[in-house]
Amino acid sequence: MSPATSLTAIGLVIVATIGIGLFGLRISRTTSDFYVASRAVTPRWNASAISGEYLSAASFLGVAGLVLMNGADMLWFSVGYTAGYLMLLVLVAAPLRRSGAYTLPDFAETRFESAVVRRICSGLVVGIGTLYLLPQLHGAGLTLQTVTGAPPDVGAAMVAVIVVINVAAGGMRSITFVQAFQYWLKLTALAAPIFVILISWRSADHPVGLLASLQGAGAEWAEPLSRAGGRDHPLYATYSLLLALCFGTMGLPHVLVRFYTNPDGRAARRTTVVVLALLGTFYLFPPMYAVLGRSFAPDLVGHGADTVVLELPGRIFPGTAGDLLGALVAAGAFAAFLSTSSGLTVAIAGVIDQDLLRSRLHRWTGGDYVAVNSFRIAALLSMTVPYLAFLLTGSLSLADTVGLAFAVAASTFCPLLVLGIWWRRMSTTGAAAGLIVGGIAASAAALVNVIGGPDGGWPRALVGQPAAWTMPLAFLAVIVVSKLTPDKIPAGTALSMVRLHTPEAVDVDRGLPYRSS
Amino acid sequence: MSDTRPTGDQGLTTYRDVQVSPDFSELRRRFRRFVFPMTGLFLVWYFLYVLLADYAHDFMSQKVGGNITVALLFGLGQFVSTFAITMIYVRWADRRLDADADRMRRLIEGEHE
Repeated sequence: MSPATSLTAIGLVIVATIGIGLFGLRISRTTSDFYVASRAVTPRWNASAISGEYLSAASFLGVAGLVLMNGADMLWFSVGYTAGYLMLLVLVAAPLRRSGAYTLPDFAETRFESAVVRRICSGLVVGIGTLYLLPQLHGAGLTLQTVTGAPPDVGAAMVAVIVVINVAAGGMRSITFVQAFQYWLKLTALAAPIFVILISWRSADHPVGLLASLQGAGAEWAEPLSRAGGRDHPLYATYSLLLALCFGTMGLPHVLVRFYTNPDGRAARRTTVVVLALLGTFYLFPPMYAVLGRSFAPDLVGHGADTVVLELPGRIFPGTAGDLLGALVAAGAFAAFLSTSSGLTVAIAGVIDQDLLRSRLHRWTGGDYVAVNSFRIAALLSMTVPYLAFLLTGSLSLADTVGLAFAVAASTFCPLLVLGIWWRRMSTTGAAAGLIVGGIAASAAALVNVIGGPDGGWPRALVGQPAAWTMPLAFLAVIVVSKLTPDKIPAGTALSMVRLHTPEAVDVDRGLPYRSS
Repeated sequence: MSDTRPTGDQGLTTYRDVQVSPDFSELRRRFRRFVFPMTGLFLVWYFLYVLLADYAHDFMSQKVGGNITVALLFGLGQFVSTFAITMIYVRWADRRLDADADRMRRLIEGEHE
């Protein structure tokens, strides 16, 4: 693979991202301008933007890598990533928008009238975001290493620096159209090599041995629940993964806020339908890379499976064609790291700024500070922790790690949202208990995994895919503790229920004028 | 959200009116009765799908034509079924939820006049 072509392509993506970020600074918008302006965006554009921000290193590189290594069961990753949006739409999207809260901590505070619950939520947003950023940095390091042979630190540092500068400068945040563009770039980058391969094979002889790899000794790879790749208890693992992905999406910090850009429930539903179509189309391609990889890059199965998307074009077409396609794929991968990392960093920085930093800065400087600087410091902090974590962790599976972020979200924010929206006897103590129990259990599992968990058997299955036990545990904690503390049911619950469930078209007073910005 | 009207007694009364109105309870109940079984069914469908792929092994590895197996079609069908469920929900929400919203609006705005 020739580094020059790929580096040029990656450079173009970076320049475009920074350039548009700086342009965004010039027409700098406030948060509320962003939401108001975005309300003029059609569901189709909005859906492209949501998909663009959502498709990360895990989708672009990780899914193909997992399928290559572990076989057909891993296809559930792509189904789950998609189905999460349906759950989000059906269970929480409309009530949450009516609540007037832009973020999960905002929702927690208005619904449960508690600064403590709010603070726990803020901590969880930072934790989930960090866990989600970690594989983006690993993906960046891996991509640059595959393309140029540079050590992984270089690629990761590049993405970290660019994202912080861009977010601190105010770019990305406001620009629906950049994210929309990123979706189409990623789809093109992933689909083009596959189409070129198919077309060239139609005109030439069918390559020998392509599908032979799916039969005979390697056949179990293509079969469901086959334990290929050495993952024990595949049925439990698959069920647990599905739960995490279906119910985790609603608790991801960078996902929810995008749903506010819909003017009403009808548009939100239209948007979701388009999102499902766009994500479904995208996820057709990673499995093809995995199948082709079994034939053309079998050496990656043991080590470096996550690079199969990057390696394949060069292996199938040695020479210029392979270089060009490889460059395209590398550029698409960088688009994936940059767009998702930016979305996450904006979400984390917002929470750090609002809940941890601003009041302290105010105290330390005696009020002599500028609010924008607080957000910039927060942006730097939000990337520092994942970067340190990146330096401390060895190679890890991209899609598995992102799956763990979903599991933590499903074990904390899912019970908070679903019960908070539908159950009027939920108490503030119950909410806190659920967040703490689910949060500790799922984060502990995630931590053990990232550090390097048990090798096999039930311990590995339970720790590797924790959602099936941590999520029910969190629901149980909320319900039991709420029943024990009926005096801690928020006084405003009845009002909250009206606010959450009365359709937008009804002109009732929805309570507190929530945000001044 | 542009709801910046000051909270006054007038507003609170409206809230309570909504809260105790049978239409509001009906709206919530109807929503719940649709949404939760739907979510449950959807999950059961996924879980069955995973099992089916395993137990109906011979059926799954039948070739439909060329190298296309039943399992492959089933795999793609999973995306199709997710899409189908979404469409069913969207249709229902467009028809029922929006109609309910209109009805409640007439009810509440009528009370104001």
